[in-house]
Amino acid sequence: MNSTAETVPVISKVRLGRSTSSALIGGGIAIVAALAIMPYLLDERFFYHIAILVCFAAIGASSLHLIIRTGHVSLCHAAFIGVGAYVSANVVMKLGFPFVGGLVAGTLAAAGLGLMIGPVILRLTGKYFVLITFLFGEILRMVFVDWQSITGGANGLSGIPAPAPVFAEPKYFYALALLAATACVAVCGRILSSETGRFVNAIRESEQLTECVGVPVIRTKVMIFVIACGFAGFAGALIAHYARYISPPNFGPLESLNLVIMNVIGGMQTLVGPLLGAIFLVLVPEFLRGYVQLQHIMFGVILILVMAFLPAGVVGVKDWVARRMIPHDRRGEQ
Amino acid sequence: MSPLLEVHKLSRFFGGLRAVNDLSFTVSSGEIFGIIGPNGAGKSTAVNLVSGVTKPTSGKVRFQGTDVTGQPPHKLVQYGLARTFQSTTVFGNCTVEENCRRGSYLARYPGFFHSFFSTSKAGEMRQASDSRVAEVLEWLDLHRVRNVRAADLPYGAQKTLGMAISLMAWPKLLMLDEPVAGLSAAEADNVRDTIRKIRAEGISVVVIDHNMRFMAGLCDRILVLHHGQELAHGLPQDVLSDPNVIEAYLGRRYVKA
Repeated sequence: MNSTAETVPVISKVRLGRSTSSALIGGGIAIVAALAIMPYLLDERFFYHIAILVCFAAIGASSLHLIIRTGHVSLCHAAFIGVGAYVSANVVMKLGFPFVGGLVAGTLAAAGLGLMIGPVILRLTGKYFVLITFLFGEILRMVFVDWQSITGGANGLSGIPAPAPVFAEPKYFYALALLAATACVAVCGRILSSETGRFVNAIRESEQLTECVGVPVIRTKVMIFVIACGFAGFAGALIAHYARYISPPNFGPLESLNLVIMNVIGGMQTLVGPLLGAIFLVLVPEFLRGYVQLQHIMFGVILILVMAFLPAGVVGVKDWVARRMIPHDRRGEQ
Repeated sequence: MSPLLEVHKLSRFFGGLRAVNDLSFTVSSGEIFGIIGPNGAGKSTAVNLVSGVTKPTSGKVRFQGTDVTGQPPHKLVQYGLARTFQSTTVFGNCTVEENCRRGSYLARYPGFFHSFFSTSKAGEMRQASDSRVAEVLEWLDLHRVRNVRAADLPYGAQKTLGMAISLMAWPKLLMLDEPVAGLSAAEADNVRDTIRKIRAEGISVVVIDHNMRFMAGLCDRILVLHHGQELAHGLPQDVLSDPNVIEAYLGRRYVKA
């Protein structure tokens, strides 16, 4: 064993000390502040709208990130957003509850549904989990289409009231959306940085080994899944009362896939990834809007390029640059 | 005194294959118990059955007098029954120290709420578990490499780390699945010393391997498995000179008349 110490190069980049985490928190506050101010500087209805969409995407992608960190890629996350949206809309419109009631009901409904299916589907891993969540998402979409008395069928639900009359204006709704997104991302970040996150990472890297050191793997995964689905429902309720109109395609497989792509594009290793991905995936199509015919092709090409050159996502730009800065012969010490 | 681990008529069939058939043995406190057998004899299945990774078709496992048959692995760890794996023994991407922290779930994890708000209870548990990590690393001679990424360790050190991870749960019985497979003779001697150190702390050890030389020098008692059944059972020298065992290992012509 003695020889081990000398021959093995010491790699210290895994360390995440107190200073790094406080730097992260400081950076986070700075980013949130910048985001909060930016649309107000531009002060145009369209920019508020885009910023709100980024907030929704950030909640969806960062909550999906929690599930991805347990090693499972869910393809029905948008369907859970839909559950929150329809439940909240109905609770407010049919039962006459205030917006907060709808928000809570939508969150709990999605979390409850997650609790019902989680213990079953989280026993599957890898592609089987992807397939079953895809199918479950399709089932939910069918429910949205067919349960006309509740969901309005394919025509969707319209006339959903704004959270309060003042929030009908995007300028003010943006404050609400930013607050919600910040809270959600902060909670996700705290979960991942706490001891819970340590064992979530362990589960992703080896379920078998983790189970055999005493971690109740299924229970932990279900807990994370339920929290993530709850956040999805929360986002859904906000979306319903912002857009004021919801219909099944808003919560279909394409939207679920978009949330996965945000994680892939941004990077799946850290919570920063899905945030960058959310910004990227909302903004890029908007910038391409001028080239109507080429829009989808260009978007596709950009996605492929990012994935080809930055396998760790946009977050990986840092390493990519570092690799080119460090001479070949010193790479072993990296 | 009742034995620590009692395995009674344990069987596991995969379709028509009787991977383990009517296996019975006991392990007492402070004992190093070996299970050997040729490839495919059912050694790993036997460990999987006892540690809860695979559910038995029939039979009973009792640990300290409690029936634990078919309990999931994380429950068995709470009873004090831990194990290592043949291949996935460590979390390759993180440091040796972090590997051990991940192994100390029982001592370290205060529950979601306490961990989320980092309460004083969480802090105390973290401190206690960190000092235990340091203690175990020192004990198994891994403290010099505690900041090294596990995948960068030599294979022998990875096996030792695998044991360290399992020891974080403070088990009463540790089951090692092929701890010296793929190791050089020198590394195997290292592992043997480590296992003796573990036993010296009062932890019983069950070792699975097919390396006769390694096992003979280590175990107090040995059980030989062949086609899922017990072929011989007893002191190492008696078992290894048993004609049935020699035949199973080397073929009939090696059996002395």
